[in-house]
This record gives sequence, C-alpha cells and structure tokens, in this order.
Amino acid sequence: MNTNANLWRDVLVLFGLTGWALALPSYGNEFVVSMALTCLMYVALSTSWGFFCGSSRYLSLATSAFFGLGAYTTAMNLDTMPWANAIALGSGIAAAVAVVMGLAVLHLRGTYFAVLTFGMAELIRHAISYYEKSVHGTVGRVLTTVPEMSTIYHTVLLLAVITVALSIFLRRTRFGLALLGIGGDEQRAQTLGVNTRWVKVAGFAFTAAVAGGVGAAMAVRWTYIDPHTAFNPFIGFQTVLIALIGGAMTLWGPLIAAIVFSILAETLRLQAPQIYMMTLGLLLILSVLYLPGGLASMRWQTFKDWYLDMRQWYKDTKYILSGDKARDKQRAKERRIVGL
Amino acid sequence: MSVTAWIELIFSGLITGGIYALVALGLNLQYGLMRILNIAHGEFLMLGAYLTWMVQTSFGISPFLMIPVSFVVLMGMGLAIHWLCFRRLTATSSNIDIFEARGLMVSFGLMFLIQNLVSAIWGGELRGYDYMAEPVVMGQAQFAGNKLVVFAMALVFSLGLMVLLRKTLLGKGVRALMQSQVGAQLVGINTRTLHPLMFGIGLGLSGLAGCLLSMAYTISPAMGEPYTVTALIVITLGGFGSMGGALAGGLLLGVIEAFGMHFTNPSLKALLSYVVFIGVLLLRPKGLFTK
Repeated sequence: MNTNANLWRDVLVLFGLTGWALALPSYGNEFVVSMALTCLMYVALSTSWGFFCGSSRYLSLATSAFFGLGAYTTAMNLDTMPWANAIALGSGIAAAVAVVMGLAVLHLRGTYFAVLTFGMAELIRHAISYYEKSVHGTVGRVLTTVPEMSTIYHTVLLLAVITVALSIFLRRTRFGLALLGIGGDEQRAQTLGVNTRWVKVAGFAFTAAVAGGVGAAMAVRWTYIDPHTAFNPFIGFQTVLIALIGGAMTLWGPLIAAIVFSILAETLRLQAPQIYMMTLGLLLILSVLYLPGGLASMRWQTFKDWYLDMRQWYKDTKYILSGDKARDKQRAKERRIVGL
Repeated sequence: MSVTAWIELIFSGLITGGIYALVALGLNLQYGLMRILNIAHGEFLMLGAYLTWMVQTSFGISPFLMIPVSFVVLMGMGLAIHWLCFRRLTATSSNIDIFEARGLMVSFGLMFLIQNLVSAIWGGELRGYDYMAEPVVMGQAQFAGNKLVVFAMALVFSLGLMVLLRKTLLGKGVRALMQSQVGAQLVGINTRTLHPLMFGIGLGLSGLAGCLLSMAYTISPAMGEPYTVTALIVITLGGFGSMGGALAGGLLLGVIEAFGMHFTNPSLKALLSYVVFIGVLLLRPKGLFTK
C-alpha cells in the first residue's frame, strides 16, 4: 500500500519535472539551457549509477569508460548513420563491454572491484588512444555534421527521463529487490534463490548502457574530441560524488545533488576552478563522515543529532580542559588507597 | 642484441623498478596494513616534492637534508588527518567492508582538495631543479646520477622498513594489528596510538618518496595520479602488506616495462602496466609471491 502511494508520488514528481525541463529552452537563455543540459547529463549518469552501485554496494569507477565509448561511437559513425541509431549503437557497445567486464570482475568485492574497474577504464582509454594513433595517425577527431542544440537537449532529456522512470519501476520488481538483497548480504541472497551473477551483470550493463547513451549524445557538444576529453576520469568521479552526496540508495538523492552541483559548477568553475574542486572534495569528506545516507536522508532528526553530538563534544572538551577529569581521576585513586 | 645492450636494458629497468618500489612504500603500509586505500597517496607525494623544490630553489638547501624534514612534515599532517577523519570513520563504521568503502571516498575528497590547493598556490606549470644530473659511466653503459641515488635510497628504505617490521617490538605490534585488531588489543597493544601512528608514517614515507623523486623528475600538481596507480600496481603484484613483495614487484614491473618498451613501442608503456595490473588482480589477487 505504502509503496504504491510512493509509486504515484514518484511518477507525478517525474512528470512535473519533465514538463518543466521541456519548457525551459523556450524561455531560458543559452547559458541556462547549457547548464540544464549538464544537469540532465549528471541526472542520468548518477541515477543509473545509484540504481546499481547504491543498492548492490559494488563501487564502480568505470563510468568514464562507458561514457567515452559512447562518445567515440558517435564520433566514428555520425557521418554514416542517423542520430538515433548512433546513440543506440553507443549505448549498445557500452552495455556489451560492461557484460564482458562484469563477467570477469563482478566476483570481486569491495575495494578490489573499485580499483579493478578504475584500471579497466584507464586500460580502455589508453587502448583507444593507441589505436587512434597507430591506425588513423591522429589523436583527436573533428565532428563535422553536428545536430541542432535543441535535438541534443531533447535527446539527453529523454535519456534522463527514461533512466529515472526505469529506476522508479525496476526498484519495485524482483530484479531491483534482488540487487538490494545482494547489497545487504550476497550469500544470503544466493541461498534464497537469486542468481546473483546474472543480476549483477544485468545491473552493471544497465548503468553502462545509460552512460554510453549519454556519452554518445554529449560527444557532439564538443565538436572536437580526443581520448583525454572523452574518457575524462573526472566525469566518472563526479558521477560517483553526486550519487554519494545525494544518497546512492535513494531515488531522488542523485537528482537533487545533480541539480545543486551543476549550478555550483557552472557558476564557480569559470571564475575559480580550483575553489570549485576544493569545495567538491570538502563536501565529499563531510558527507561521508557526517551524512552517510546522503542529502536525501536528511530529516529534522539529523539536525537534532548533530546538535546533540556538538553539545556532547563541547561538554567532553570542557571536562578535560577545565582539569575536572584529572581531579576526578586523582580522587578515584585516593579512594582506592583509603579502601585498602 | 649484444650483451651490453641487454645489461643496460635490465639495469635501466631495475632503476625504474626501484623508484616504483619507493613510491609504493607508504601506500603499502596504509592499504596493506590498515585497509585504508589512500587514493590521495600520489598527492601527498607531490606535497613532499613541492616542499623540497621550494626549499631547494629559494634557500639552496640540499635535497638530502630535506628527506627527514619532508618525512616529519607529512607525518604530522597524517596524524592530523587521521584525527580529523579516520578516527570518526573507525568509530562509526559497522564492519571492515563499509570502512574500506568510506575510507576510499574520504581519500578521493582529500585528493581533490590537495591537488587543487597546490595548483591554486603554485600554479599548474611544470617545475624542477638540477641536482646531480651528470651521467655516471659504468663500463659501457651510463645512467643519470640522481636516478642512481634515488634507486639506492629506495633499496635502503625498503630494506630498512622490512627489518623494522620484522625485528622490532613496534613492527611486531603493527603486524599483529594487521592480522586482527581485536586480537592485538587483547594482548595489550595500544591500537589507539598505533593506528594513527602507522597512518602518519605511511604519509611520511610518501612525502619522503616525493622528496627523492623531485631530484630526478619534473613536478606538477597533476603528477600524483600516475604515481598512485603505479603504487597500486606494485602492491598488488607484491601482495598487500608485504614489504619484500612490494620491492620485488616494483623491480619486476620496471624490468617488464623496460623490455616491453624496447621490443614493442614506447607509447604502449601505460597500456602494458595496466594489462599487468588487471591480469594480476584477476588471476592472482593475493599477489604473485604468495603460496
């Protein structure tokens, strides 16, 4: 009953946000639209990341690899292919790579998995730049036939809406529950009859397909791409950051954080890029330490807990600094001696 | 290929490998012993390098004198970071897996923070200074003097750390901590002081490595990430937490890279090291030298 009520709430919120995003280009100026585009890109990336990695607790750092694969697919095929096909192909290739990669590495847990996915992402980046250098003799590619800005915007919007909608529905199916079960206790999930291997691979492929599609659509924004920009590890890191700060387990957390970060990024990055990155780092540390459930888990109780923690800390420090602790210790010692 | 060319190739591989082993020392202590996968390792190394560069160029103090200084400065920083972040993390994480994942995220944050702080203070350009750059001739082969010094230092510090961990009471305590935290507490090891101390020493070692590296290579705020990756590869090769394994793994990686680059193509270097890394993680996740 409760989940159904939430389902309708989620669908309605998504519907409202979609309408707003559709109307935005007609009244916003170019800067606002480009900001919204970045925002939608991170909504899609971090929602799909949170859907798999948040619920199953497999920390994947390979998002930038899938993004780059998508971008390169568009760059190579846009001249010979219609726009929609190029994007479908990009996300298909990313998903195929993810299936192969997942079958190889998804039996490893924890930091092993994180480090391995990062290593594989870097491997793909270096392999592609070597391929480009040795076969085509260049490092970068110039995109000549670029679609209209509104086409790009609507494509990315469509991808983001599909991702959030899928994430709303899949989380209530057996598949989503199985992922959650894997995050809770993988062996128990296995005992209860979940084919963990396939569930994990499918979840990983979903994340990759979204990242590949978004990469394929965003590639044309740059008009010139080389492996360094397309496979920029920062895109992957920022996706993870947004999902974690927003709350990777929740549905709306990544979306809220994506909006906050895009605004912060667009306003701060041009004037003071270093300050932007430093804020990012500081926020990440603070949210891991003090808000492990992410922004979406914030309630009045959280503030109350913080306040109580602070007061306790203040009391403890006062107790030590005023010398009361030392005096109490001394008294306890004297009492022991008298007791003898 | 003549015999001298082979020898030259092997030696240049060994020298690079020794430097890799030096870079991996601090991370090995932190990840191998304490399960903190410090992604910001390369950034702390860069801090050590910048400290040495700054003192060397403005006061003309020999980089050798800066070795203990950068160790102590970075160690102090490590103690502060442990007190601010990891103390709370240890207290609030319910099990070691969650601790590892959250520790990884914290060190990502540290990486962004430090890298951009340095580039805001000193700017993004490449820096460096000349120190013992003249080549040393050995038989028919010749090597850069500063790289030989770095190689010798790498051997000294790796072997020193191995002896320290094996022979002293402190080392025994650390190894006990590595095996079981609760068990170590039960036999009377004060984990509340040992834990921050080890983290501090780990950072100190990365500062020391950075100080030595600044003699032989140019430095920049973005130099950290490749070194972090190299260090990760080396400690995976050697088996997490094993100092001897890391030394052997570093030397091996250096020789493999030297041969690979000689017989194929220099631009394949990064590709080659990632292939080795992924291969070892998939096939021998406990390291090459474990039984």
